[in-house]
Amino acid sequence: MNRIETALAVLQEKKEKAFITYITAGLPDYDKTKELICAQEKAGTDIIELGIPFSDPVADGPVIQAASYDAIKNGANLEKTFDCMRELRAAQVEIPIVFMMYYNTVLHYGVEKFVSMCHTCGVDGLIIPDLPFEEQGELAALLEGSDDTILIELVSPVSGARVPKILEHARGFVYCVSSMGVTGQEGSFHREVINYLTSVKSVSKIPVMMGFGIRTAEDVRPMKDIIDGAIVGSHFINLMRDSDFSAEAAADYCSTFKKELNF
Amino acid sequence: MNEKAYYGQFGGQYVSESLMNTLDELDAAFEEAIRDPKFMEQYHYYLKQYVGRETPLYFAERLSEKYGTKIYLKREDLNHTGAHKINNVIGQILLARRMGKTRVIAETGAGQHGVATATGAALFNMECTVYMGKEDIERQKLNVMRMEMLGAKVVSVESGSNTLKDATNEAIRTWAKTAEDTFYVIGSAVGPYPYPKMVKEFQSVISREAKRQHLEVEGKNPDVVMACVGGGSNSIGMFADFIDEKDVELIGVEAAGLGIETGKHASAMALGEPGVLHGMKSYLLQDTDGNIQLAHSISAGLDYPGVGPEHAYLRDTGRAKYVAITDTEAMDALMELCKLEGIIPAIESAHAVAYAFKKAKEMTRDQSMIICLSGRGDKDVNTISDYLAGKGYLN
Repeated sequence: MNRIETALAVLQEKKEKAFITYITAGLPDYDKTKELICAQEKAGTDIIELGIPFSDPVADGPVIQAASYDAIKNGANLEKTFDCMRELRAAQVEIPIVFMMYYNTVLHYGVEKFVSMCHTCGVDGLIIPDLPFEEQGELAALLEGSDDTILIELVSPVSGARVPKILEHARGFVYCVSSMGVTGQEGSFHREVINYLTSVKSVSKIPVMMGFGIRTAEDVRPMKDIIDGAIVGSHFINLMRDSDFSAEAAADYCSTFKKELNF
Repeated sequence: MNEKAYYGQFGGQYVSESLMNTLDELDAAFEEAIRDPKFMEQYHYYLKQYVGRETPLYFAERLSEKYGTKIYLKREDLNHTGAHKINNVIGQILLARRMGKTRVIAETGAGQHGVATATGAALFNMECTVYMGKEDIERQKLNVMRMEMLGAKVVSVESGSNTLKDATNEAIRTWAKTAEDTFYVIGSAVGPYPYPKMVKEFQSVISREAKRQHLEVEGKNPDVVMACVGGGSNSIGMFADFIDEKDVELIGVEAAGLGIETGKHASAMALGEPGVLHGMKSYLLQDTDGNIQLAHSISAGLDYPGVGPEHAYLRDTGRAKYVAITDTEAMDALMELCKLEGIIPAIESAHAVAYAFKKAKEMTRDQSMIICLSGRGDKDVNTISDYLAGKGYLN
């Protein structure tokens, strides 16, 4: 079974909500990345999205754009991130890790080689915001047949009639984007967010997570009974920058969020 | 995979899920509009009365004499606002209005598409925001002022390389946020489907006119048709009606900047590595990690790391040939056109002119070629003067 699916099944059993964070790989360097991942695993974060920096991140707001830009300047890339994954898995770090990346990075690396590296290095899932359902064919075909790495589907407040089609074969969890546009819009969710989440939840066979613009557990209180978990990205990056990437500060934030989310 | 979104292996819709319905609606509205005689009548009315079409197909006597073949110039530089960009803007803004949108946004590099969009927005009373890289704002001050005079808001984009590709990213981000009431006017033959198709449709007036004009004078099709290629809007318009005329040779001219071998160029086709950027799969300049590489050209309008998907397809199928011209070659051709024909072309268009001079050597006196003179050079006077003074240029 896939690590993400296993972890989420355990949470469901315990009737617990999932807490998911985003960090940019190689920011400020790979040693810190590994340290932050280990600290979060201990602090109770359920899944980590590991961002592969790309020069033109169109789905991201200013915070993650700057994080990508800085990581690239520091030499981060896909190959080094695979190395980092391999080291983590060798060190028995078992937290599910999802690559959040743009499709050009996959294409440039070679789709087939990319998939096989994901399997070898213990990458459990992929989130590719510029690869909508209609364009997933080639990658999905290569992922099929192994449980190691799964493609996470995104839906948006305006997906409407597209939702059933997108969710038909979706695995792991469904990533509900809380607003139109980009990451990091600080708590300003779409005006129809409750209706939208409710309707996705009603057709989804897998857990429903909400992301984009979330800072604290308080932000998701109004939709707490609908969603199965929350994803924090831009705010978490800001917090780490403010604390000079302190693993302790990251762990404190994660354990607090996780506790409040399940309060 | 949405088959109709592809030209061979190129094109597609590589956008976030929030834009997929928007693209579907846009495609449906566009297909309906171009089948509605009233819409097309309106489009042609504005092209004639406002833009000043049709544009002449001018027989360049002195150039023809010098280079030993018949050289015709399709004078898109004589359009209102000084380039072919307005053809597409009129079409897209009429479509936006028909779809009930109240705001338009656009990206711009050199400022030509920004000025054209600001112009169209003023004409049809729409709110207009233009995204422009901070670097480009500094080197194209005059066009920034023109846009502001026309009532547009120019937003300085300070991310990544602060140029056209980043302005495009920012326009896409804004569009994803505001698509419910905002229409994104893309200026080049790039972007997710149906944009490459729409831009081609609204620019194909160039070849429709040129084909008829040439036939009237020469009684046959031209032997060669050429145009410069950045994203590829004037060239796809110039090629459109000739694609099915197999006896007509089609040549697209990219910018070789300081030379392909220096790595400082804007020729997406030269290295031929496909990639995904700005919603499409096409040839793309990228580094060893798959990050997008900065393009380089003395011409801001060709300074783009990608190329429209239909061009990538025309290249692969061999229907069109793509070549590249350096900054120096383009500037020499620009000066020659000034002196021999009294026409100051845009530096972009001068790339096509430069290759025409090379191509002419293989041609005979009774053969003919059409060069798309996509824009005029008024906007480039500062760059030209710096170049001539040997100061290099802001790039």
